[in-house]
Formats: sequence, structure tokens, C-alpha cells
Amino acid sequence: MQATELTIRIAGIDVHTWVGGRGDPLLVLHGAGGNRGFTRWTHQVAERFTVWAPTHPGFGTSGDADWMEGIDDLARFYLWFIDAAKLGQPHVLGQSIGGWTAAEMATMSPGSIDRLVLVDPVGLKPEMGEILDVFYHSPAELRDLMVCDPKTVPDWDELFGQAPSPAEAQIATRNREMAARLTWKPYMHNPRLTQFLPRVANPTLIVWGREDRIVPVECGAQYRRLLPNATLTVLDRCGHVPPLEQPDTFARLVLDFLGDARG
Amino acid sequence: MKLYYFSEMPHHEYPDAEGDKYPSLRLAFPNRFFDRATAATNYTRYLDEYEFADQAGYHGLMINEHHSTPSCVNVGVNMTAAVLARTTRRAKLLLLGNILPIEDNPVRMAEQIAMADLISGGRVLSGFVRGVGVEQWWANANPVHNRERFEECHDLILKCWTEPGPFRWEGRHYHFRHVNPWCLPLQQPHPPIWIPGTASPETAIWAGRRGYTYVPFLVPFDVARELFEFYRRGAAEAGRPVTPDNLGFLICAVTADTKPKALEAGRHFVWRMGPTLRGPVDWFQPVGMRSRAGTEFALRARPRSLAAMSYDELLAEHFIIAGTPDEVADRFAHVQRELGIGHLLLEAQESRMDHLTTMRSIELMGAKVIPALATL
Repeated sequence: MQATELTIRIAGIDVHTWVGGRGDPLLVLHGAGGNRGFTRWTHQVAERFTVWAPTHPGFGTSGDADWMEGIDDLARFYLWFIDAAKLGQPHVLGQSIGGWTAAEMATMSPGSIDRLVLVDPVGLKPEMGEILDVFYHSPAELRDLMVCDPKTVPDWDELFGQAPSPAEAQIATRNREMAARLTWKPYMHNPRLTQFLPRVANPTLIVWGREDRIVPVECGAQYRRLLPNATLTVLDRCGHVPPLEQPDTFARLVLDFLGDARG
Repeated sequence: MKLYYFSEMPHHEYPDAEGDKYPSLRLAFPNRFFDRATAATNYTRYLDEYEFADQAGYHGLMINEHHSTPSCVNVGVNMTAAVLARTTRRAKLLLLGNILPIEDNPVRMAEQIAMADLISGGRVLSGFVRGVGVEQWWANANPVHNRERFEECHDLILKCWTEPGPFRWEGRHYHFRHVNPWCLPLQQPHPPIWIPGTASPETAIWAGRRGYTYVPFLVPFDVARELFEFYRRGAAEAGRPVTPDNLGFLICAVTADTKPKALEAGRHFVWRMGPTLRGPVDWFQPVGMRSRAGTEFALRARPRSLAAMSYDELLAEHFIIAGTPDEVADRFAHVQRELGIGHLLLEAQESRMDHLTTMRSIELMGAKVIPALATL
């Protein structure tokens, strides 16, 4: 399933967006590492759903958003995006900071969203352990920390086998700056999110890698307890990025969960 | 040319092998190696040395501030300024400086600097700095806001000093409903403002526009000249003349009765060039702290890190000057001719340089070097 690229203008920002597939809309929100576009899992899910994968403001080739202060700004932005792109009531899937964004969106306007998929999301203060300080570590260190075992990542060489070009390196720096802008303090969480999550009755699938070294897997149980209608699936031998580490399993989980939505 | 005495107040009384076990002496080196009794003795010693520098004839005493590091346990410039305001008589107190981006209350900072100026009889030179990246971590201040907060904090401090209160401040990073400091500086309209630079063209231009004294720290001459050109560009935009009084430079320097003694003492500066600057790049330059222009300039400005240079190379490049009084006076004059500066800041004590060596250096500078340079 091939994706096409669109630019959608919202709040004065040109948002680069990958769109592809057929079926009900699924909005996919990427993590702090940036938008990888359509990868192996996305192609599989796009057989059944129309995937919208925008690049967050300040990331990749989307426009600047120096005025944003936190993930709640990004959540409001994407609620506007849903309206502007005429997505109706899409499913929303978010990974890491994208998962946190999706959770914030659901607390603000649960009726704007159909089903919710949260993949190793940050956003909650861990009851046990700490969220790894990603800004303390170099990008090279993080590349290894984010997965359980690079050897088991099917497309590792394709994704990370070559040194980044100057343009790619510049985008990686920009991504990191915008991630810092949005998540620096309180680091990677919103202390008040716990108070609002019980509002979200949307069917929710939480997916976590048991070996996640960025966000403790215990946070998955915290999200499940706070969300009234959520299930948690923990994947063995998987780190912080199940969509890259176990793309086929991940796509199956997403299709099974979303496939139930409207028969 | 005016000379300034500066000590980082190091706390280097621990086994170096212990420090080597950690990724950096900053942030990571555990404070169980901080020895309270030694620190108490050291503060007395370092303050004594500052006071002697005042008596010896230094034009100014430079004070700086760092956190979470044995390289500098002066953790508050305004606190040290308050002490020296009472125990010194003549020298300017050069605060270089207050770290604006990590400050949450610029009004309190304006009050404290004003109080030091009042107690000292108007001797404060108020330096403002953006800080080393390490300080962003220490304060948990978002590095992407570093420059914005630097400028807004500066603007609010200046307004505290120059505009009658009460007034309200609703900025982007600072919000105060009631600003009316009952403590204003003795110097009018406010103490002179100094700005250091290492690599940011933006800072040089910004300082030039305002006519502040601009001081590159430990950079090669050609880089200093390039930064001064940025400064002049900013000054020209604002129609301001640039005189030597606008320009300064910081190096490490020590003198002694004989050249071998001076060279032995000068070796202590190598510690601050290498071990104290060792650490992951993201600790010293966290994401977003430097603009792309600043990053590119820094790469050009420092093709080799100070840590990679030998003692002999550091001497040859004038990062360290060590010699007899005649020799250092000659080298200082050379720096002055190369850069056209009016202020030379001497980092004059470091690492394990002992008290007697430090005091003798201060004495000889005062007796022989400072007078020799007074007419330059």
C-alpha cells in the first residue's frame, strides 16, 4: 500500500502528512525520534484502514512551532487536525510521546476519537523506576537503548544501517530540539493526567515491550488502571518500539483490536 | 590596559583516580568527595587571595559561578560579591557572571546585584552569562529556552534598575504582578554590564548593539578577532563607537620569581582545560542551547579542544601565560596589541596551585606587571 504526501495547514503551520490505505481513518502519532512514514506494520494495517501519519510541528519537514510549550499544546493541535483533515471520528494510535499526545487528546475530547491505541506511551510518572532521560544520552546510545535487541529488528539495517546524511542529521537535531521543547519539565509526564484519564471510556489497547528501557513497563499497568475500558498487551523480548521490533505481531494486534470496532 | 584577578575556587582535594571513574567531573562525580572541612578552609583562603589582589592593585576582582562540579565551588556570585564588597576597598567587583537563563526570579537578582553595588560603594560590574550546558541540567531549565530567557531576564533586570515601580511584567517566561524593588544600584543608571563569549555570534552582536563590554574566554586570537567583528557589527547597527574599553579577553596567567617556578605553577591550569571539561557533549551542550549558527561557528572556532592540547601548546597559543614579571608583562602587551582590548582577565589560581605561590603571583603582578601595563 503506497502512501502519498500531503501538506495540511493548521494554526499557521504546514504539517507534512503521509496518507495511504483504505477504510476508516487511523491517525498515527509518532514518537520523539520522528516520523518514519510507512514502515512494515503500517503497510499491513493500511490494507484495512486509511492511515494518516502527520509529522509533528517542529519535527521533520513540518513547520516550526516555537510557541508550543508542552504535549497538551500538541494534543489541542491534533484535535484541530482531525477537523481540518475531515477525519470524522478516527481511531488514534500513538507511540511514546505520540501515545502521550493521544491520551491527552482523549481526555480533552473523548468524542472526537473512536478507539485508542497507546504504544509504550510516556505521560505518567512511573510508580516504580524512572523514565530514562533521553536528552542525557547521545542519539547513538539511544538507538541501542530503544530496542531490546537490534539483531531481532527485521528492518534494522534498512532503518539504521547507514550513517545519516547531513540533511537527515539536521532533521534529527531538529526533532530532538522540539521533543525537548515539549517534554523537558516535568520530564516526559503530566502530573495532572491521572486526574483526567478516567474520563476516557473509549476502547483502548495498550501495547508495551516487556524490555522497554526508556519507559518502565509498569506504566502500562498504571494506564490500564486509570482508563476504564483498556486492555494491556505486553510483548516479550521487545523494547520501547514494538512497531519496529515486532512489526508483524504489532500489526496483527492493531488489526484485531480495531477490526472489532464497527464489525 | 586594566587587569582583573579571578579564581574559580576549585575543590581539587580528592584522588584524581576517583574522578576518572565517572563520565564527567560535572554532574556525575559524587559529592561524597566534597570535604566540608577542606571547603571551609578553602573559602577563607580564596577570599584572602581576592582581598590581597585588591590591595596589590588589580583593577578588578572577577567572580564566577558554577554548580555540581569540583572545578568551581563558588556557587553564588552575588553572595561572594557581598562578602568582597565589605572586605575589599578599591577594586571593581566583576560578576561574570549571573547565569540568567536558569534564574526564575530576575527581580530578586536585580535586588541582590543592587545591594552588592550599594555595599561596595558602586564598584559592581554586572556580568550576565548564558551559562555552560551543565547549569541547564543542574537547574532543570529547558535548554531550548536558553537565549529567550537570557534576553527576557536581562530586560526585566534592566527595567527594575531604570524604571520607577511599581509595574507589572507579563513576558513569555517571566510573570510578576508587582515589581517595585526597594533596593536600587548606587551607580546610575545602572552598573556597567559585561558579557562573555566563547562561540555565539548572536551574543557578540547583541552585546555590541547595547555597548556592553564583551569578553571572549580562552579562544584563539583569530576567533577573538572574529567575535569582535560581530560585536562591531552590532555596535555599528546601533551607531555606537567601539573603544578598547568595550573589549576584554580572558586567559590563565601566573608569575613567579623565576621562570622555572612560574612554569611549574602554570601547569595547574591544564586541569581546567582538560579534566574539568571532560564529559558527554550533551551535558555541556544540551539540545537546543546553541543556534545552528552558533554550532557552526563553534566547530570552526575550536578545531581542537583545549583538552587535546599539551601544556607547551597552551603556552604557545597564549591560553596560559607563565613567566617572570617582565616576561608576563611582555606577553600581556602582546595580547593587547593583537586584540586591541582594554581589559585583561586573569584566571590566576587553579587546581592545586598552593596559597603561597598564588599570593606571590598576586604580589608580583601588583608590584611590577600592573604598573607596566597601566599606560597601554
